[in-house]
Amino acid sequence: MTAVDETLGMPMDDDAAEKALARRARLTAVATPVLTAIGLIATWEIGVRAFGVPSYIAPSPSEVATTLVTEFPQLMRNFWPTLFESVLGFVVGNVAAVLIAVAFVHSRMVERAFFPIAVFINTIPILAIAPILVLIFGAGLTAKVVIAALICFFPTLVNMVRGLQSVSPQALELARILSATKSEVFWKIRLPSSLPFLFSALKIAATTCVIGAIVGEWVGADVGLGALIIDATFNFRSALLYATVFLSSGLSVLMFAAVSIAERMIVRW
Amino acid sequence: MVPAASLRNAWVKFGQFTAIQDISLEIEAGAFYSILGPSGCGKSTLLRLVSDLIPPASGDVSIFGKTTEAARLAREFAFVFQDAALLPWRTALENVELPLEMGRSRGIQIPVSDKSPMELLELVGLKGREHALPHELSGGMRQRVAIARALVCKPKLLLMDEPFGALDEMTRDHLNLQLLKVWEETGVTILFVTHSIPEAVFLGQKVLMLKAHPGRLHEIVDIDLPYPRTTEVRDTAEFTRYSAYLRKLLEAC
Repeated sequence: MTAVDETLGMPMDDDAAEKALARRARLTAVATPVLTAIGLIATWEIGVRAFGVPSYIAPSPSEVATTLVTEFPQLMRNFWPTLFESVLGFVVGNVAAVLIAVAFVHSRMVERAFFPIAVFINTIPILAIAPILVLIFGAGLTAKVVIAALICFFPTLVNMVRGLQSVSPQALELARILSATKSEVFWKIRLPSSLPFLFSALKIAATTCVIGAIVGEWVGADVGLGALIIDATFNFRSALLYATVFLSSGLSVLMFAAVSIAERMIVRW
Repeated sequence: MVPAASLRNAWVKFGQFTAIQDISLEIEAGAFYSILGPSGCGKSTLLRLVSDLIPPASGDVSIFGKTTEAARLAREFAFVFQDAALLPWRTALENVELPLEMGRSRGIQIPVSDKSPMELLELVGLKGREHALPHELSGGMRQRVAIARALVCKPKLLLMDEPFGALDEMTRDHLNLQLLKVWEETGVTILFVTHSIPEAVFLGQKVLMLKAHPGRLHEIVDIDLPYPRTTEVRDTAEFTRYSAYLRKLLEAC
């Protein structure tokens, strides 16, 4: 029994050493960027204090942090509408892109007719088209959702078309030998094989839809992070402006993380 | 007895290019055929012709007396590709079950093997790995899943296009033995394309030697080595004699 324990013990020790090494490598991987960020923030804090930069030009990080806490209720009041617009725009834009991608793959005619238009719409700067959409849809929710949807649309369309076409020729030959119908090929082969491509696009859309919602709020809104950014800028409340920007980026990170988690759960291959 | 496949003056053309020129051939039911030939001789094209993936430019192809299309709809044959062509999001077991799900909405009658998908995976030596995804399996294991998938509809004819071509020699030898076991247990007719002379001799009752440019039938060589064949067969004088003969034929092509 002791002999067995010893022989089992040996690789265990090796294992433990290997695990410790791996843990250290992981720690370094996390610590490096965190320490760099802390260093940069510290430099900023010291610089602002040392040179006596007025707070309305560049607030110190500690001031921004304080504002984040004191103005938290106001920040959250503006956070939820932007989150809502972003998520709604994300859903609308991506569903439209996926459906149109399916139509494109199904019929070359449709692709020839509509792809140039899709490219044209994509070339219009979002800042230029936002006022037009606000004129059309009014200052309410709809305009922001449409802008957020529009900014998501193109990357997903292009990726989804590629994804649906990414099926290996042998898989299609197999489907033919099995006398599969077009819809069986679509549901059982094309759609699943497009998922990795779709998620690449959704990760892009997760952050750009927030930009779309904020741009929409710039043009005309009284709530939302975009409206707060404009408000804080015009009132020289720089610390609040920075806190709002910080929260906007936090919203994007949240969306990105949600999509990444969904991807890890769905695309297991 | 109805031949498993019969070709009469079959031609295949891709535009101006003649891939197969005037092949007439009868494949005996239940037999194991190796197909050998230089590259460009139309080995793969021949399998694709038989499996209704490409139509003949002229001539006739039939499988168990039916047209290739009727045979395809009745699932009389199955195909094993060079790369396993598994769906990466499906587990080994789900990949084996795929043929049972396809073609349903066309309303075809799908024959089912007496062995369950689980038992078929066991037959090819994958017991315990049923729920692994393809990327968790080695190349040899993936190819075995593909063989189990091919058997799930109880085909009478198995078309194999260099299925072990990308594997190392040890794995290949092992899978050759396993394939012979499958053949003996199921009684399926096998057409096995390879570019390895030892593999062709080890497996086949007959070797179809093709010639290139354009692809046509050169010679059919009977391999009179007794079954069940074991690895030791490779060390016999007859094995060497067959190999040498085929090599000479191949060089003359």
